Amino acid sequence: MSTLKIDLENYKELMRQYIETKDEQALYQAEQFSKYSMQQNISPEEIINVHIQSLEALYPEMPEYIQSSLDFLLETMISYGLAYQEYQSLREKQLELKSEISVAANMQKTLLATDKPQIDGLEVGAVSIPAKQMNGDYYHFVKDDNGALGVAVADVVGKGVPAALCMSMIKYSMDSFPENRMDPDVILGSLNRVVERNVDSSMFITMFYGLYNINNHTFRYSSAGHEPGYYYDSSQDKFEEIDASGLVLGVSSEATYEQCTKKVNVGDMIIMLTDGVTECRQGDRFIEEDEVLEIIQKYAHLPAQETVEQVYKHFERLQDFHLRDDFTLIILKRRV
Amino acid sequence: MNLTIDVSNKDKLTTVSLAGEVDAFTAPKLKETLLPLTKEDGQTIEVDLQGVNYMDSTGLGVFISALKSTKEHDTNLKLIQMQDRVHRLFKITGLTEIMDIDNTVRGGM
Amino acid sequence: MEFQSCVNIKKEWDIVGARQLGRDVARKIGFGTVDQARIATAISELARNIYLYAGTGKICFEAIDDINQKGLSIVAMDDGPGIEELSQVMEDGYSTSGGLGAGLPGVQRLMDEFDIQSNPGQGTEIKVIKWLR
Repeated sequence: MSTLKIDLENYKELMRQYIETKDEQALYQAEQFSKYSMQQNISPEEIINVHIQSLEALYPEMPEYIQSSLDFLLETMISYGLAYQEYQSLREKQLELKSEISVAANMQKTLLATDKPQIDGLEVGAVSIPAKQMNGDYYHFVKDDNGALGVAVADVVGKGVPAALCMSMIKYSMDSFPENRMDPDVILGSLNRVVERNVDSSMFITMFYGLYNINNHTFRYSSAGHEPGYYYDSSQDKFEEIDASGLVLGVSSEATYEQCTKKVNVGDMIIMLTDGVTECRQGDRFIEEDEVLEIIQKYAHLPAQETVEQVYKHFERLQDFHLRDDFTLIILKRRV
Repeated sequence: MNLTIDVSNKDKLTTVSLAGEVDAFTAPKLKETLLPLTKEDGQTIEVDLQGVNYMDSTGLGVFISALKSTKEHDTNLKLIQMQDRVHRLFKITGLTEIMDIDNTVRGGM
Repeated sequence: MEFQSCVNIKKEWDIVGARQLGRDVARKIGFGTVDQARIATAISELARNIYLYAGTGKICFEAIDDINQKGLSIVAMDDGPGIEELSQVMEDGYSTSGGLGAGLPGVQRLMDEFDIQSNPGQGTEIKVIKWLR
């Protein structure tokens, strides 16, 4: 098909053709014409104007009332034309914003990157998937001077950019803590004071902090109002909740944190997660705690990283591939 | 899902009855209603959560900022008739320790 | 040929008067139907802004007839509260009245040249020009 141009001659010719033949072909060309017009940023009132002029040329005897009525129509189309132009410019701005956010999301990934540690006898699995482009969940691994492994899992209230900004603050505070003093209760206490001083009153952070001692296979942990973790006892094929009392970070500067210890046996697992896992929804129904554990159990025989990935895939599918909240799941599994 | 907010006042007691979900979408509306109340001299604000079947962390944030505001303005905040699922959230986050929450919990849906 | 004529804006009805006068001037200068309609819409927006936010003000029209080009210049003036954040008002999608008005960005699109001066407490002056092509 020849390329169309919005000019009087072309439009007039097409219209004449249609009036004479009532041919679908001409209507199809009209459709092409309107698409081309949009590409060229031609507003509706201009098309009506071309229409009026074509009519005048084809029917010089056109009654005046028709002419007036078309002028009336032209006037009413002006605002639609403006709205369309505004829509175009907002769409461009949206694309700009999107690309800015994706740059920010990449920066966040770099800033918050944590290496999954290689430790003999301990398998580590970790996934953290944001519901939107930027992640309000966070996990971090750090090895201390004695070879103990520190694991932090945190969740900032809300999602998206504000949550992500807040998380970067947490990450840098944690980096500034001395590496020889990693007691979970002390770390949470220090972070609490940082958050309390620096964030908005409705913002808070929950964090679970654990320290795995490779030498005697004990796990010490504290929680700042975070979702309880689980201990999987492989000999009995059973889960038990691991939780320690403590207030969320950022509410009261006087909060103190309980610290608990758990002995970890060969083949057993420590599971840490965020509420994006436990608050999954299937349609309008919330999944139950048991269902989460059932799925973890189902994939428990796999290496830890595969386990967390399979569990994520399960819940991603369950929620029709639309996460409502950031999803983070960490598993530590004692091999020997 | 939506959130309906009913406010009734009797002397120094204001009752805020909620029904629906308190999440990222409805939390700003709740904050707009709740925060000014916490700044009125000598008020006790009772929030009736019987009709709330879901609350997320954004909703929790509203109650935290309301609590902070009551401390600044010497007012009182009390949460009553919380459903199980919502109460679990307050318990996990440690807020049951620092907030005035009526312990006669209603069953969840 | 150069002349200036103004319409005072005090009530909503004056918006129609301003449109009418602006359209007449535009027609005399030689603007076609589409441009006349665009100019009238721009006048509506300017006049409505005065009516809604300043209460009273006026809109003046002046035909431009240089050697090189002809056109219509429109100036809208008021002594209202003024606009604090000009860049915000000129942003698409921003409307304080929450209505469907095209707003000032719309006026800018409808016309060829657009200039605005406003200081809080000292009113607003908007000057726009449409060139005849």
